[in-house]
Amino acid sequence: MREDERVHSLLSPRTLLTRTVAAVALLVAIMILCSLVGTQNVSLRAALAGPGSPTAPNPDYEILLHVRIPRIILAAIVGAALAGAGAVFQAVLRNPLADPYILGVSSGAGLGAMLAVVSGVHWTLWGRSPIAVFAFIGALGTVWLVWTIGRITGRFHVTGLLLAGVVVNAFFSAIIMFLTSIARSQDVYATVFWLMGNMAEEDPFVLWASAGCVAAGLVGLFFISAPLNVISFGQTDAQSMGIHVERVQFIALAVSSLITAVAVSLSGLIGFVGLIVPHAVRLVLGPDHRQLLPLSSVMGAVFLVVADTIARRVVAPAQLPVGVITAMIGGPFFLILLMRYNRRVYWLS
Amino acid sequence: MTACVQLHEVAFAYRPDLPVLKGISLAVETGVFLAVIGPNGAGKSTLIRLLAGLLRPQSGTICIEGADIRSYGQRQLATKVALVQQEFIPAFGFSVSETVLMARTPHFSQSGFERQEDRRIVADALAMTDTAAFASRPLADLSGGERQRVFIARALAQDTPILLLDEPTSFLDLKHQVAMYDLLKSVQRERGRTIIAITHDINLAAQYCDQALLLQPCSAAPGTGGTDPSCEPVGQYRTGTTSEVLSREAIENVFGVRVFLTRVGIENVLLPLGKMAKDADRAVSR
Repeated sequence: MREDERVHSLLSPRTLLTRTVAAVALLVAIMILCSLVGTQNVSLRAALAGPGSPTAPNPDYEILLHVRIPRIILAAIVGAALAGAGAVFQAVLRNPLADPYILGVSSGAGLGAMLAVVSGVHWTLWGRSPIAVFAFIGALGTVWLVWTIGRITGRFHVTGLLLAGVVVNAFFSAIIMFLTSIARSQDVYATVFWLMGNMAEEDPFVLWASAGCVAAGLVGLFFISAPLNVISFGQTDAQSMGIHVERVQFIALAVSSLITAVAVSLSGLIGFVGLIVPHAVRLVLGPDHRQLLPLSSVMGAVFLVVADTIARRVVAPAQLPVGVITAMIGGPFFLILLMRYNRRVYWLS
Repeated sequence: MTACVQLHEVAFAYRPDLPVLKGISLAVETGVFLAVIGPNGAGKSTLIRLLAGLLRPQSGTICIEGADIRSYGQRQLATKVALVQQEFIPAFGFSVSETVLMARTPHFSQSGFERQEDRRIVADALAMTDTAAFASRPLADLSGGERQRVFIARALAQDTPILLLDEPTSFLDLKHQVAMYDLLKSVQRERGRTIIAITHDINLAAQYCDQALLLQPCSAAPGTGGTDPSCEPVGQYRTGTTSEVLSREAIENVFGVRVFLTRVGIENVLLPLGKMAKDADRAVSR
């Protein structure tokens, strides 16, 4: 078709579907591969034999099903949430430096976690410490605060939001430091280690509820990805092209903050995923958010599963915070991509 | 001929004590190419933003195709009026065709993808503006003139009867300025679009536009620096055909510069003259 040839560089639904399916296949393969890596050698064939009898449980099955796989699924959920949310934050704020934490999720979660420790509450919710619950509430509460301040500043909405985010982050960080200096040291250590970004085995209910929440959020975000393209050209342009800018911005920030808060309460603050994965996907496949959003999410999952596997393995039997690995591996990897694809690559589209 | 864009006693101020537009009444008929001319701060961009529905007038009414602009929803208005702003480069490396396709976003199917019809309109807009040859290149790689044509293409792809342009030629060299006006003229003639464009080039406006709106800043009278009583309450604008509005006296009065008038073919040519210009005195005394 001649007309289609002329606009051949546009994303077609078939291309998007093919790429998404390929990325998901890659994710599944990586997840299986990584589940076999750890301090204990596990054989997939032995594990497939089943749970064994109650008197002689199959150790391979036990480790794989109750230790490795939940943790890998956790890493995938967190990675998908952070990378997807990062892509959305960058689009809405029209800022390539934006990440999911920029509007105060990080300091809000930190403050929540710190308050949980300082106040000394000890109840648990689905086997979760109060730290996670407080962090979740703190993260969402802070984003709400920043959004409200940003709305009041009015006309230069995006700039107002960013500034409010920076200031609130700084203010809450100061409170965290204040609490750190007056709290007992072992509590502080636990919180700081938790905040550094950590994967631990999770209760199955929490795992599936979080997975559902993140998946629903990402699917919802996909349906505003076309308006997000327009909004990344600025509010005026988007408005004059018939986009309900405020509405899309609100949905985008609310949903991506929610899934970020879920990720943070699962695993603390894992840096870099939400910043570089969207950039890496954008560098290779282009900026169209209809593609950027699903592929960033899947590649974020891949990235964090690999990073967590390395974090489990590299100083075994001790474990590194996964945030250390994401920055140490992600940084150089991203720079290589940046140098290699300093322009948009057309032959891939 | 019906009035496509109609303003009645429109007033707007960003701050209550600083009116930008006061008592503007204007009727632009379908298929007319209108030039909006005036000094900086006269409210040209404000007027365009009012017509694009980005601002609401404090008093007076604006009618677009016979209906009050306030009766349109945002999406509905975007099917009537398309806006081309002064050029800028977006944050992410979208390609030309992706950019033009964005104008079709409100018409996408539920799955978030364009229909065949949208692709046809995009291809047509690319062809019309001569941008199809670099459709897959990122915007940032284009020259200023090429990029401006892409934004024209995007406005065309919005498929609206009315096009608003905020200084479409401000960053362009002579050749591209002329090419831009040729393009706009062909859009007006071949597609029957109503075009309202802000410009600082009086002579190009006189050559290409049918009508002109000459705006004068509300408070200060030109040259004197003081308040001009004749500016109150209305009268700080002139409207009509380009030859009526863009007279030597009007331009000298509104811009506060001396202007040299000559005639080339059928066209009046206005040449601004600064005090220090070579032969300034001789030219005027002629």
